[in-house]
Amino acid sequence: MTKAIFVEKENPYIPLPCKVVDYKRESPDNFTITLDLRLKHEPGQFVQVSLPGIGECPISICSYPEEQLKLNIREVGSMTNALAKLRKGDSLFVRGPYGNGYKMEQFKNNNLIIIGGGCGVAPLKGVIEYVERHRDDYKNVHLFLGYRSPDNILFKEELEEWRNKYHLTVTIDENAHGEFCYNAKTGFITDALKNSDINNENKVVFVCGPPVMMNYVIQVLKDKGFNDDQIFISAERLMYCAFGACCHCMIRGKYTCIDGPVFRYDEVKNYKND
Amino acid sequence: METLLLEKKDYEAFITALINWCEVISPVKKEVVRFKKIKNPSDVYLGKNSFFPVKEFFFRKKETIFKFKNNKISIPKLESPKRIFFGLRKCDLNAISHQDKVFMETVKDPYYISQRKNSYLIGYHCNEAPSKYCFCESMRLKDFFDLMLYDKHKDFFLVEVGSEKGKTLAKKFGKYLKRTDNKVSLEEKKIPGADRLPDSNIKDLYDNPGWQEGVDKCLSCTACTALCPTCYCFDLKDEVKARNLSEGERVRNWSSCQLKEFTMVAGSHVFREKREERFKHRIYHQLDYFREKYDVDLCTGCGRCIEGCPTRIDFVDIINRMKQDKAKQ
Repeated sequence: MTKAIFVEKENPYIPLPCKVVDYKRESPDNFTITLDLRLKHEPGQFVQVSLPGIGECPISICSYPEEQLKLNIREVGSMTNALAKLRKGDSLFVRGPYGNGYKMEQFKNNNLIIIGGGCGVAPLKGVIEYVERHRDDYKNVHLFLGYRSPDNILFKEELEEWRNKYHLTVTIDENAHGEFCYNAKTGFITDALKNSDINNENKVVFVCGPPVMMNYVIQVLKDKGFNDDQIFISAERLMYCAFGACCHCMIRGKYTCIDGPVFRYDEVKNYKND
Repeated sequence: METLLLEKKDYEAFITALINWCEVISPVKKEVVRFKKIKNPSDVYLGKNSFFPVKEFFFRKKETIFKFKNNKISIPKLESPKRIFFGLRKCDLNAISHQDKVFMETVKDPYYISQRKNSYLIGYHCNEAPSKYCFCESMRLKDFFDLMLYDKHKDFFLVEVGSEKGKTLAKKFGKYLKRTDNKVSLEEKKIPGADRLPDSNIKDLYDNPGWQEGVDKCLSCTACTALCPTCYCFDLKDEVKARNLSEGERVRNWSSCQLKEFTMVAGSHVFREKREERFKHRIYHQLDYFREKYDVDLCTGCGRCIEGCPTRIDFVDIINRMKQDKAKQ
């Protein structure tokens, strides 16, 4: 049974208890947990996840509201390693949703190009699920998903479904296994992008992935004639409060937690290191 | 704004009356001047501004956000002590108003609000810049206080009433705060010697090589942000009991943008890796970024970050030099 989340009105720091209802390993260092939370949010937003005694960290939402809240997590730090140990029935704490996501209403009647690298695909999965439920509002949908190796491919079950519904390209940087069954191309996502016939006509592009990958992707897009205001990136920063007070996530004068994490590229393009 | 008169012969009796009414915190001179609870009127020191800012009484160095035990969270009961802060300078009063904007108007932070809401602010207006590093006159400060004492006359202070809380105090201590026809003129509100930064707009200086002078001397020691009356960055972390790891508390601690780990994400990537980026971030947050969101500069020109810097980086001089060099070109 899902329950509606309510944000603690008196105290913005207090997270609410919830339980894990499903756990699924996606790759050797990546897993998805499903929580008994029904949360109204837009794709691209995030929640603050707490394990008392370990700490708190921001995690992007990889599902769309009709379902129970899903979080896709890569094990890279103390919090995410601890989260990886959670199993069905375990409890954790959540507050949110926070941030400025993908304003899907604004992109109606456009062609969408969705480009994700590694665990950067997680917030974009929320976009894909949104599009599935509002399919008539959008025209052609291209997905470009890049992973390091076959083992790192995320959402393997969903991939086949996406392949049937959209223009899907999956790449793997190195194919250690030789023959391979996800119809993935060996090579960088940027090469796949370069070789595709996409153009900037009536299109918006969503990019999420490691900073290096995003930089190269944006370069390719610009070579193909895309304008900065057609590109939307999702930024990652350290954050504690998630409501614009602690200042850790500032990109110059902007706050990743309230002005982002989704930024139109021209808003932040000069500020990569700030 | 109502103006009252406090005769200097009544000053000690007035302070004593304040102490008898509630806790009074004012600058006290020990090894350095700092804000402390006072017991006697003679404890008040007004010769120089406090070395440490008053922010630690509202935005506390360490705050328990909640306690946890076996996966149950409990929120501490927040108390709102009635306190008078006496002898605050204009820079520090404005600094409080800037932190109010963040923690009371925008975020509604219950911890800050509980410390702040029953606090009364009584200012002491500088007759001249109390330190050679002051530049408050350049920061376009506002009148922000409950009461403000102006020490312009031999026998009496003029006292301006700046808020509803100020009216409460004026009424409560009417025995000492008397009616007068005197007014404090705008001229008398100027603070001579505190206009070192004639042009604080640094928007077009970001890529100027002139910053390097400060960057080269910066140790990333974080004294500037700790001494700043306005800096409000913080961390949240969980502290557990050694004997029971499922019991502990989530605490909020002061942080500093000058530390490398301030922007370190999982996987150890640091966004502001270079000292230059961190150094400029502080100055730009103070003089540019804050204004984008709150329509006022965060910095109030108290000069503590310069006075307390172990290598005496005077960013005001650095900005002035860059402006002058630019004008020459």
